[in-house]
Amino acid sequence: MTATYLMAAVLGLLFAFGTFLVLRRDLVRVVWGVTIMSQATNTYLVTMGGFAGSVPVLGGYGADPSTVQDPLVQALVLTAIVIGFGTTAFALVLTYRVYEEHGTIDLADLGEGGDA
Amino acid sequence: MAPEHVVVAPLLVALVTAIATLLLRAAPRVQRGLSVLGGVAYAVAVAAVFRAVAREGHLVYALADWDAPVGIVLVADSLSAFMLVIAAVVGLAAVVFSVGYLDPANQTLSYHSLFHFMLAGVTGAFLTGDLFNLFVWFEVMLMSSYVLVVFYSGPEHTRAALHYAVLNLVGSAVMLLAIGGIYAVTGTLNMADIAARLGSGAADPAPVLGLSAVLFAVFALKAGIVPFQFWVPAAYRAAPAPVTAVLAGVVKKVGIYAVVRLYFTVFAAATLPVSLPFVAGDSFLAFFGPVMFAMAVGSILLGGIGAVNQPDVDGLLAYSSIGQVGFIVLPLAVAATAPFGGEVMVLGIAAALVYSLNHGLAKGLLFLAAGATRRATGATRFADLGGISERDPVFAGAFFLGALALVGIPPLSGFFGKFLVFDVGVRAGATGALAVALVGAILTIAYFSRAWNRAFWGEPVAYERKPLLVGVVCVLAVALVVAGLAFDPVFRAAEAAAEAAVNRSGYVDAVLEVGT
Repeated sequence: MTATYLMAAVLGLLFAFGTFLVLRRDLVRVVWGVTIMSQATNTYLVTMGGFAGSVPVLGGYGADPSTVQDPLVQALVLTAIVIGFGTTAFALVLTYRVYEEHGTIDLADLGEGGDA
Repeated sequence: MAPEHVVVAPLLVALVTAIATLLLRAAPRVQRGLSVLGGVAYAVAVAAVFRAVAREGHLVYALADWDAPVGIVLVADSLSAFMLVIAAVVGLAAVVFSVGYLDPANQTLSYHSLFHFMLAGVTGAFLTGDLFNLFVWFEVMLMSSYVLVVFYSGPEHTRAALHYAVLNLVGSAVMLLAIGGIYAVTGTLNMADIAARLGSGAADPAPVLGLSAVLFAVFALKAGIVPFQFWVPAAYRAAPAPVTAVLAGVVKKVGIYAVVRLYFTVFAAATLPVSLPFVAGDSFLAFFGPVMFAMAVGSILLGGIGAVNQPDVDGLLAYSSIGQVGFIVLPLAVAATAPFGGEVMVLGIAAALVYSLNHGLAKGLLFLAAGATRRATGATRFADLGGISERDPVFAGAFFLGALALVGIPPLSGFFGKFLVFDVGVRAGATGALAVALVGAILTIAYFSRAWNRAFWGEPVAYERKPLLVGVVCVLAVALVVAGLAFDPVFRAAEAAAEAAVNRSGYVDAVLEVGT
């Protein structure tokens, strides 16, 4: 039970930190913030397999679900990590392009001249 | 070959075309030909799925023969088939348009591969029967669309793509969070299994309601509904015209589809007493009804008022797109507060679907027409345009038809879309919905008459006609007229799709009994 609270606190801190970074003016920090948030989500998914829920595959064959980690969440996280890796790489390249095109990565300077 | 094998066909066609066009970059002409051929093959595959679904009802394809709920399944029913038809028509028109619109050197890069990967993502999202795979297909669709938004890579485009990408990355993280939570509560990711477990009381409905509300925010972001609309204008202005046609006509509808599928088929299985001002009920839908209503009202008003003020065609169409999606969500909101599975609910969903089809065709046409205008006159700002109806009456006529379809003039498909929205409002006695729809309709007339006056009448500007581009626009205009004149089969398809959406036991039985 202590582990559950510990994980909940860690996840809360990670999300708070990620959100804080997303709200910065520096574009690289925004990308960092998004990355931290998606990694926090992955950690959250792994947490699901250890403490709650039932094990769909093993449960059907009579194994005691409380003694094993749920393998499904690990597969989910693996997929999510690969996707997150690709999108982070793209976001970083995009940041570099924005720097090339605008000469700045300060969002306050970028924001003018559009209605978005 | 068993009938369920056809379900995987559109997905395979899109993926094979995407990879083949990637490999054929050295031979640009062959690549373009193959891309168009892939678009045609996709339409044929979708037609095959549509026919098979009409004959067999639910088609369930278990990937690698692992049965649900353990394995991953693709499910096609009337609802998926209806959405796929929108994707096929708009996708094919856009790919043909791209060949004539984009600079050939740009096309040899990876434009066609990305386009077909985007179609593959859309197809997967429409067909999947698994919540996590919905996330994966969303990512496939979004990742290609990020690159397509930044395609021209000028200063405006990188900035728009940045907003679009960062917002959707945050959206993806939130979506994964909600899906993980739903898995933890229900113990399954299969949509049919979730519905079954919620229905039988095996899972606690209260946390699922909260998590599904989080998920709803993500779908609203994808569909560009107020208050998640702010990325729409910049992204739609930045992307090449044929891509914008697909983004507005098809990709937005994936959010709508996910709302209909998950909230009407899956989550509505749970009973949970809801008591809010104006509404009470024992289903999740009673909670989402007022939320959708508020979002629809916001979208219609903000989109309509925003569109009236735009200085250029692309901006006007982008804001109009926000408003028109409001018209799709409005009947859904009425349907959500109606008795489950009743006449009003089915009619409400059918109205939303008919309007989706109309919006896909008409807005696809208008964005392509905006692209054709840019190619023909070199301008998109109203200040630099004028007199197109004198230079090219056929093209002007097609644009006019598209605008009339969104305004809702008979006998175009838009008339029936609007008519059904009002009809649902009257039947449910929702006077608020009627008033908003009326204001929205007046705003639509206002901004389209402004666009028409500025761009198509007045002092003529230099105009160079591109036959292929005008041809594609005209074909879509004909499709709008045909869908309106032969409205009966369209409505029957939409009604069948709406009935499939509320036919929970049919969906659950079809998926969970596969192989038994």
